[in-house]
Amino acid sequence: MASQEILNKKPLHVLEKIKENLEKLNEKMEVMIELQKHGKQDIQPPLTDTPLDVMTLLSMPDHLRKTAMTLCRLGRATADEIAQQTRRARAVESAYLNQLVLMGYLKKERKGRKAYFYVERENQG
Amino acid sequence: MKKLGKILAVHSYKGGTGKTLLSINLAATFVKRGKKVCLFDLDFRAPSLANLLKVDNASCWMNDYLNGTCEIDRVLIDLSSRIHNGGQLFVAFANPATEAIRDMSAKDRKWEMHALGRILALRESLIGDKGFDYLIFDTSPGLQYSSINAIVSADLVVVATTSDRSDVNGTQRMLHELYELFEKKTDVVLNKVMQDVSSKSGKDVQAKLQDMYRVPILGLIPCFCDVMRAEGGIIFAQDKPEHPFTKILNEMADTIDKTA
Repeated sequence: MASQEILNKKPLHVLEKIKENLEKLNEKMEVMIELQKHGKQDIQPPLTDTPLDVMTLLSMPDHLRKTAMTLCRLGRATADEIAQQTRRARAVESAYLNQLVLMGYLKKERKGRKAYFYVERENQG
Repeated sequence: MKKLGKILAVHSYKGGTGKTLLSINLAATFVKRGKKVCLFDLDFRAPSLANLLKVDNASCWMNDYLNGTCEIDRVLIDLSSRIHNGGQLFVAFANPATEAIRDMSAKDRKWEMHALGRILALRESLIGDKGFDYLIFDTSPGLQYSSINAIVSADLVVVATTSDRSDVNGTQRMLHELYELFEKKTDVVLNKVMQDVSSKSGKDVQAKLQDMYRVPILGLIPCFCDVMRAEGGIIFAQDKPEHPFTKILNEMADTIDKTA
């Protein structure tokens, strides 16, 4: 039923959807590649809403701490914006950010074609 | 173009190394130079600034700001009149009431994460919007949440140390396992030095220190009896302009001003 609805819409929209899904898939692949690169000790079961406090930052592997700290400072950012600060490749930052999302430290929100990452600090700015 | 303001966190491994003395006097030294400075008491376990600066009329504390129950403007108390012919001095106090200390020591990780966000936000609200030149965080010794939150938010960490062996070892560990991990620019101040700092043995102490810590040495402060005698009640940068301690503070301020 759902696929029938998609097919009824304009082909351009369908292509956009495919592209978006491919991007999501690509991000997941990047996470898997990074996880493999850093060995199994970094892998933690997916958690939900784990606070990203300073003690957690301290105990993180160096490569993730750099990304997490930069995001803490910026509050909300795309992988591109993080990469500009850390001077690492966008794809690398994207992988680390997605890994931090999987670990439950960050939240991710899509706005159009851009994915924004942020630390959830409800009630306070 | 006006230089963008900077955040200093004054920290140490052990207590009693002179963090508060250094924080108050560095703040006063910058104010004397016409700067707009805000001094923060972030030692929530043992607040001391309200007592030392004899302020008992704070309606909002730093505790309230971190709790999200009031904004920073209501916490800051204008003490510019204490420093003559200078810039502006504001102070954010920690609540010294026992109940407040107990409340702060029972906070959970989630609260500490929010507190980090609130401290990080000071850069925009005070340096960005209000044009402060320096924010100085006087912290709690050792690995405390409030202190690490301050360190993470700072541009420069000034570590107060003494020659005490346990302090030396602890400081070395913190340099490598705390400040370095957060990629923080760190300077060390050696306090209560028994040698004459301008003599050869003083220079030897400095060289030894540099070799041991492998970070820049911001300054050596001799063990001044009149600093001890003042019992924290004198702001040397204001009240004793000719005192050697004031001169050392000026040299430190020069270095910070140049590099920060």
